[in-house]
Amino acid sequence: MKLSVMLEQLSTGMLKSMSIFFLTLIFSLPLGLLISFGRMSKNKILRTIMKVYISIMRGTPLMLQLLVVYFGPYYLFGMQIGGTYRFTAIILGFSLNYAAYFAEIYRSGIESMPVGQYEAARVLGYGKMQCFFCIIFPQVVKRILPSITNEVITLVKDTSLSFSLAYAEMFTIAKQIAAAQTTFVPFVVAAIFYYVFNLVVAVAMERIEKKLSYYH
Amino acid sequence: MKLLEMNHIKKEFDGLGVIHDISLSVDEGEILSIIGPSGSGKSTLLRCATMLEQIDGGEILYMGERAAYVDADGTRVYPKGEQAKKIHSYFGLVFQNFNLFPHYSVMKNITDAPIRIQKRGKEEVYREARELLAKMGLSDKENAYPCQLSGGQCQRVAIARALALNPKILFFDEPTSALDPELTGEVLKVIRSLAELNITMVIVTHEMSFARDISDRVIFMDKGVVALEGKPDEVFDADHARIREFLGKIQER
Amino acid sequence: MKKKLVCVLLGSAMAVSVFGGTACMAEEAKTFTVGFDAEYPPYGYMDENGEYTGFDLELAQAVCELQGWELVKTPIDWDSKDMELNSGAIDCIWNGFTMNGREDEYTWSVPYVDNSQVIVVSEASGIADLAGLSGKIVGVQAGSAALELLSEGGDQAELAATFGTLQQFPDYNNAFVELQAGSIDAIAMDIGVAQYQLKQHEGYVILDEELNSEQYAIGFKLGNEELCNTVNESLQTLVENGTFGELAEKYELTDMVCLGAEAESETEAATEAVTE
Repeated sequence: MKLSVMLEQLSTGMLKSMSIFFLTLIFSLPLGLLISFGRMSKNKILRTIMKVYISIMRGTPLMLQLLVVYFGPYYLFGMQIGGTYRFTAIILGFSLNYAAYFAEIYRSGIESMPVGQYEAARVLGYGKMQCFFCIIFPQVVKRILPSITNEVITLVKDTSLSFSLAYAEMFTIAKQIAAAQTTFVPFVVAAIFYYVFNLVVAVAMERIEKKLSYYH
Repeated sequence: MKLLEMNHIKKEFDGLGVIHDISLSVDEGEILSIIGPSGSGKSTLLRCATMLEQIDGGEILYMGERAAYVDADGTRVYPKGEQAKKIHSYFGLVFQNFNLFPHYSVMKNITDAPIRIQKRGKEEVYREARELLAKMGLSDKENAYPCQLSGGQCQRVAIARALALNPKILFFDEPTSALDPELTGEVLKVIRSLAELNITMVIVTHEMSFARDISDRVIFMDKGVVALEGKPDEVFDADHARIREFLGKIQER
Repeated sequence: MKKKLVCVLLGSAMAVSVFGGTACMAEEAKTFTVGFDAEYPPYGYMDENGEYTGFDLELAQAVCELQGWELVKTPIDWDSKDMELNSGAIDCIWNGFTMNGREDEYTWSVPYVDNSQVIVVSEASGIADLAGLSGKIVGVQAGSAALELLSEGGDQAELAATFGTLQQFPDYNNAFVELQAGSIDAIAMDIGVAQYQLKQHEGYVILDEELNSEQYAIGFKLGNEELCNTVNESLQTLVENGTFGELAEKYELTDMVCLGAEAESETEAATEAVTE
């Protein structure tokens, strides 16, 4: 196989890895916030459910969760799963898992906010939503950014777990080429891709952090 | 006209009474100081008045309107929705530790609530905010962030922030207690200047000479009740065991 | 900065919807979804041009052309093959799939390749027969026929008991790298795959003693006789019109295929040779 063909194949895999990455972030970041609200809710039932959910998501391997999400509908409900569900299952599995981690990060940030900020907003007449989204959340974001960066970098590498559902992302394709051509080159390319991708993510997050460093 | 009336207020924490049956009222343009030893319930009373704490008995009236009360069978009744907004617009509160929003500039700290909550015009709000900052001696700080300011400057911004909403009555909860001694002067000066403008104020403070000087009326609180009430001289010079003990302790410091 | 990020996000979302769109259009024709291990040359693998191909996949393509179906090649994780098939994600497993020992678990097509499970060792190791594997580390693919053979209850379980370790690998390529690196001593695998690997690597041999001989067939979900019969008929047609033979030649599997008159006689000869 020519190197150019190999790179072409791997780059289609890259695109798929990146769509897993971005879609997971798009869904899991807001979902994580909702879960953290549930986790901190005054309603004991809701709070317990979210606690159990987070505990399961963090306590079992992501690969296993992907298998459950993909094959679960058949085993639980006897549903026939079609061709496009594979990708949906991957996004669903990743989002559900990462939302649990993000929820705990949000919670740590929200709970670390001094009560005075809420009180000041209340006395100034901010409603609950206004108080959260204008006053509390922006400060929470700054506080939790380093933890979020950690998770995001892990996510870049975790996209390779999609190979367990044989989705043709970067790593799956690298493995397939390696098998057919009995060569190590695709793995080297894959390693470079993941490293560079993460480098970009790290630099981007650092920029955001710097942007938020105007106050402390 | 009475701006604020608090009648038979009771407040307890975990069954422990902090305020036992306190009644007070504040007239328009009046300056009321509340003094007393730590744990006497001064701050709690202020937090009840500003609805940061819910009362366990009695009623609170603003402008003669019943804002909050506890009815005969012990149910708390607090205003909701538009009514709550209206009640909240009557008062402002300056905290001991400022509670400025650190991610907002000085200007935004002052203007955000008038624009976002009161939906007032941006230009008008900014103009008023600049006037307020000038009054506070902070004209050059409008683009600074709270972390770049000294404690005294922060507290002055907090006062401007409260004033920007044009409250009928302004509460101060130990406004100088978190400040280094050399910075208390500048804050007290600002509060004094407000007094000259006839702004109605209720001040919880440990600055005795300031309280004596500025107030129209002083309340001495002890163990959750009003122990003494009257004109400054009447209270500070009263032949009353508890206040003599309290003032004696303060002077020792 | 923010705008850029938004652009990237939107871009990727659009890319996904486009991919999704094409996939939907493809479903309009009657599809035939073949599940295969894309790391299993020469039966199913990625070729020089980055296309999935191999003896089995080309055969599947020929069947689809006869029936007017659209072939969907779905690479699967071999460990999950039963779940993929039962859940309806794929129509069949067609990828050097050993039927022996699994007769009751699937609805099988006619067998089309005579396969044997063999042991690959390095020439330098000095291992000459199965007895020489005593105390050695032997690699095998997870979920493979070779593993079934060597596991408890399999025909070669006794042999496996003499091994030092029976090490499972997700795919043969990994196992071969380990063999080269010297961390394992031998690999148990299908002869077709072994021959492919030997062509790529010098200095390795297949032991003359085979673990067993077995047959490849196409596995359908148990009870799916209708689809199975259709494919069987097509296979027969392909044998008769010579396509089957041509493909076998192309992938150098002529010695092993067991459909068609020519192939049958060769198989018989081979069987006799083994019996002697």
